[in-house]
Parts: sequence; structure tokens; C-alpha cells
Amino acid sequence: MRILFVLFLFVLGCSSSVDEPIRYFKVETPRPFGYVNGDEISQRILFETRPGISLERASLPGKGPLNRWLNLNDIRVSQADDQHYQIDLRYQIFYAPLEVKALTLPSFELQLNQGEQRLSQTVPAWTFTLSPLRELVVRQTEQGEYMRPDSLPPLLNTRPALYGLLASVLIALALAVALAWQYGYLAFNGRRRLFKKALRTVSGISKSDMATGLQALHHCLNTLNGQPLFVHQLADFYQRHPHYQSLHAQWLWFFNYSNRFYFSPGMTVVSGDIQQLKTLCQLARSIERGSR
Amino acid sequence: MSLDRHLSDSRDHALAFEQQINLTVLGLGAAVRHIVIAVYARGHVLLEGAVGVGKTTLLRAVAQGLGGDFQRIEGTIDLMPADLLYYTYLANDGRPAVEPGPLLKHGDTLATFFFNEINRARPQVHALLLRAMAERSIHAFNRDYALPHIQVFADRNRVEKEETFELPAAAKDRFMMEINITMPSDNASLEQLMFNPRFHDTDALIAEIAPGTRYYELNSLAHTLQQQIQASPKLRDYALTLWKASHQPQHYGVQLSDVDMSQLMLAGASPRGMSYLIRAAKVSAWLAQRDYLLPEDIQAVFAVCMSHRLFLNPMYAYRKDQLLPELMNGILQQVAAP
Repeated sequence: MRILFVLFLFVLGCSSSVDEPIRYFKVETPRPFGYVNGDEISQRILFETRPGISLERASLPGKGPLNRWLNLNDIRVSQADDQHYQIDLRYQIFYAPLEVKALTLPSFELQLNQGEQRLSQTVPAWTFTLSPLRELVVRQTEQGEYMRPDSLPPLLNTRPALYGLLASVLIALALAVALAWQYGYLAFNGRRRLFKKALRTVSGISKSDMATGLQALHHCLNTLNGQPLFVHQLADFYQRHPHYQSLHAQWLWFFNYSNRFYFSPGMTVVSGDIQQLKTLCQLARSIERGSR
Repeated sequence: MSLDRHLSDSRDHALAFEQQINLTVLGLGAAVRHIVIAVYARGHVLLEGAVGVGKTTLLRAVAQGLGGDFQRIEGTIDLMPADLLYYTYLANDGRPAVEPGPLLKHGDTLATFFFNEINRARPQVHALLLRAMAERSIHAFNRDYALPHIQVFADRNRVEKEETFELPAAAKDRFMMEINITMPSDNASLEQLMFNPRFHDTDALIAEIAPGTRYYELNSLAHTLQQQIQASPKLRDYALTLWKASHQPQHYGVQLSDVDMSQLMLAGASPRGMSYLIRAAKVSAWLAQRDYLLPEDIQAVFAVCMSHRLFLNPMYAYRKDQLLPELMNGILQQVAAP
């Protein structure tokens, strides 16, 4: 008995689905009623083949009139991989029935190739009902011409959306201007870009370019001060630019270092000096941006 | 003694000397510093100021502190050059006699020569003084008298203009500095000067200063320190720019109110003036314990070394008391270093 059960399971495991050329086949169709003359009907065919089996695309119906009332407007085949196919068909009906009438989309065969062998799969016909657009007799009424265009659709009120768009654009512009001000992108705002430029210069210097770095920072201070700034004028400078007073110790270092660099004999630049200059530039830049 | 040690000791003496003078004359710290610089740079000084602000006391204190002989002469309209060289009198035996005058009678120990109210003396006297100041020698009695240590201080009273002779440009240029002596501005100093009897008796006040004996070392010390204090290429550029700016300030962005800058200057600083400026700046660096010059050293002495060397166009000369300080300030503010 046990042997028979195992054999049954074996046979079940080697069921016919393994040998079927198409493992999965489905035709997705829309509602089968409520169509009128000129409507389009979409149909989707999904199927999965066994490995080694491919679709013969020549077997698909061609675009154009299929019969006197049916037109195939479009047909598209897409593949997720070698086995999974999706075929989208778009039919259009040209039939004016006098009363509700059942019509059928014709069936067709999908040809599949397996090496030299040819297989086929039927796409079944699909029946739907078509309705007339109007009564058989055209009536004249006091309400005007019966056969007339539809009334124009009421326009949506776009005013709130327009106001919203304008407000958004204004806010975005204001934010952009504020950011540009902060980052010193505005051309007329040169005084807020001084240390930015100096920082760019100082960032790239080496020990041999120390003079360039010092010169850049001196230029900033002189421009900000409106005239050359010397160490003994720092108090006046702070009165006009009080934010920079928080860096007083660093400014003293800078001026003393610059004095020694430019005017004293035998001055040697070490890498720590450059780092200190960069740090000072960064601090001054953050004050310039107003973030310190 | 090593050179550095020598300069260092001398600096200590100089600073002690300055301190002593500051105890004698109150509230003139800046002027005293400039005079000390002039003494150690071996430059002659023109003093300017109102009456009774302490010019003579200051000079007597300097003379006392330096040592050497001090000679003072008052400028008057009838003073003639010969009056500086000799005077004649009838001796006890009834015969005319000739004795060396104020410039000659001390010989080579004359260290401080004070010419009071120099603008009251005639141009002939100014001319005689030119040689004494520039060459430190005088020709008299058919021979040259060397005055190696002489330092001339002249005083110019700006209050009165009648019966005065403006110093010629050549004479002015031989002065290293023109120092303006103003009244102390702080109330404490003014009160001291009014009520403290110590300041009422000038002779006693001067006597408090220990007599110096180092005047004869000043020439060699000045020479040494001028050699030792270094000026970097960048500083030379700065000084050169200042010099050019003194001739054509309009090219360096200097702008004064109600002045056509292209018409302002008649003459800028002379080469001698600029050499004086650098000499004085080097002494300033030395006093600040440095062996190299900084722009601040030049700035510290720029006004006193330049104010009497810049000549304005006659159309602006009547405003020179107002324009010159603005001009020098403008030059210093517009010329960057580095």
C-alpha cells in the first residue's frame, strides 16, 4: 500500500504541467457591455512558456481592419524575460447597431516554436454587447436641434491654484535671494564675498606660496576697512565691524606673523602656519556669512 | 662686549633717559619719545608750540640727561651771524678783546645747542646755522672748528607773526623733525603743573636729573644701530611708495576736502628727508627691541619727519595748518604694507 502511495506521488510530481509548452495563459478582457460605435477595446494576453519555446511573432494578427466593423489599431508584444510574454491589443469598433447587439472579437492562434517543432495556443473569441448612440428616429423638439454637439464642459476654477503657484514662486525666489546673500553670490554684495575669495586662495597654498595667502587676507581686511589696515588700527576696525572682534587674538597673530614674514630676516614657514591661516580664513568667512 | 649686548645696554640707557625726562615734563610722552629718537638718530629738531608749554624745560632736561655742554641763544631781529661766533669787548686793560661766541666757546664738547625763537633771527643767521647743522663744523678765525657732538634744537613760536622770518626750505630740510609741543590734555597733569611746587622751580626740577656723560658715545652708537637694523625689500617698497605719495598724493587715492589734489603739492619730501625718516624709524625699531624695521616704525615718525618738508601750493598754503596733518594722515592711510 505504501509503495502504491509513493508511486502515486511520483506520478503526481511528473504531472502533465511539466510537459505543457505553455505553463500559464491568461486573457484579460474589459467589461463585456456598454460599448458604442467608435469605442476602443483593450485586450491583454499574458502567458509563460517552457524554456526553449519562443513566440512566432508572424502569427500575431496584423494592424488594420480585421472585418467590416472591427479594426486592430495597435498590437504590442513585450517580454519580461525569455519565457514571460505580454501582448496588448487595441481594437476599435465601427458598428452602429439599431438596438443592443452582441458582437464577438474573433479568436486567433498563437504560434510557438520549439526548435523545428511548431506548437499553437488559441486565444479565445470574446463576446460583448454594443449599444446604439441614439434612438432610431431623430426627433425635432422645442429644445433645439437633436443632433448637436455636446455642451462645453464647465471650466475648473484655477484661480486658487494660480495664487498658490505665485506664492510658491515668490517664496522660492525670496529663499534663493536670501541664500545667494548668505553665500555671497550677489554681484553687488562684494563685501560679503571677501573672505570667501580669500579662503579659496588660502585653501590651495603651499609653504612656498605663503606670501599669496597673507596678501589675500590683507586685501580682504583692507577692502573691508576701506583703507589699509594696520595692527594698531584694529580697535577702530572693530568699531565699524564689531563681529570680527571675537577673532581678536587670531588677528593679532595674523598681523604679527605677517610682519615677521614680510619684514624680518630669516623667517621660516612651517605647515602649522598655513593651517592656522586657513582656520582664521574659515572663521572670518563664517562671520562674513553671519553664521557665527 | 658683544654688539648685541652693547645695543641692548644702550637701549636700556635710552629708555631710562626717556623715563627721566617724562618725570620732569608732564604729559609730553609722544614729544619726548620723538626727541629721544632724534637724539639717537643724531638729527636736529625744530620745536613748535605755544608759549609756556615746556619747550625750554624739555630741552634743558634733555641736555642735562645727555651731558656735554649746553648752549642757548635767543633769536632776535638784530642778531647777526657774527654774534654766534665771537663777541668783542673792552678788557680790563682797556684794550679791545675778542672771545669765542656761543657756538665756539665750548669747543667739541658742545652737545646741545638751543636756538630759541629761531624765526625771529634773520636769514643770514639761518644760513650760518645750515653749515653747523649739516657738517657739524664752523669756519671762524680763518680755520674750521669741529662740533662733532652738536645737536641743534630750535624753537619756533607760532603765536606771533610780526617781525619774524620764515625759515627757508633749505634750513627746514636740515632739521630731522619738527615736533609740535602741546599742552597736556589730562586734568591730573594740568593740576600737577599748577599746584605742585616741584614744577614751579625749573632749575631745581632740572637738577633732579642725573647729569649724563654719554653724549660722546652717541655718534658711534647711532652709526652702529643704523647698520644693525635691517629693512626688508617689502619695507623698502613701502617707504618708496610713501615717498612718491608725498609728491603726488592724488595718485595714491588721497583726497582732502575742498582741495584740487593735482594742484596741492609744490614739493614733496627730499631724499635727505627720506633718509632722516628711515634713520628715525630704525631708532624706533631699536627702542622696540627689534633688529628689523616695520611699517609701524615709519608711521610712528612719519608726521614729525615730514610735516616741515612738504610744501603746499601758495593757493593752499594759508590752510597748511589744517591741510598738512590731513595730508600726512591720508598718505599713511592709503598706502598699504604689504
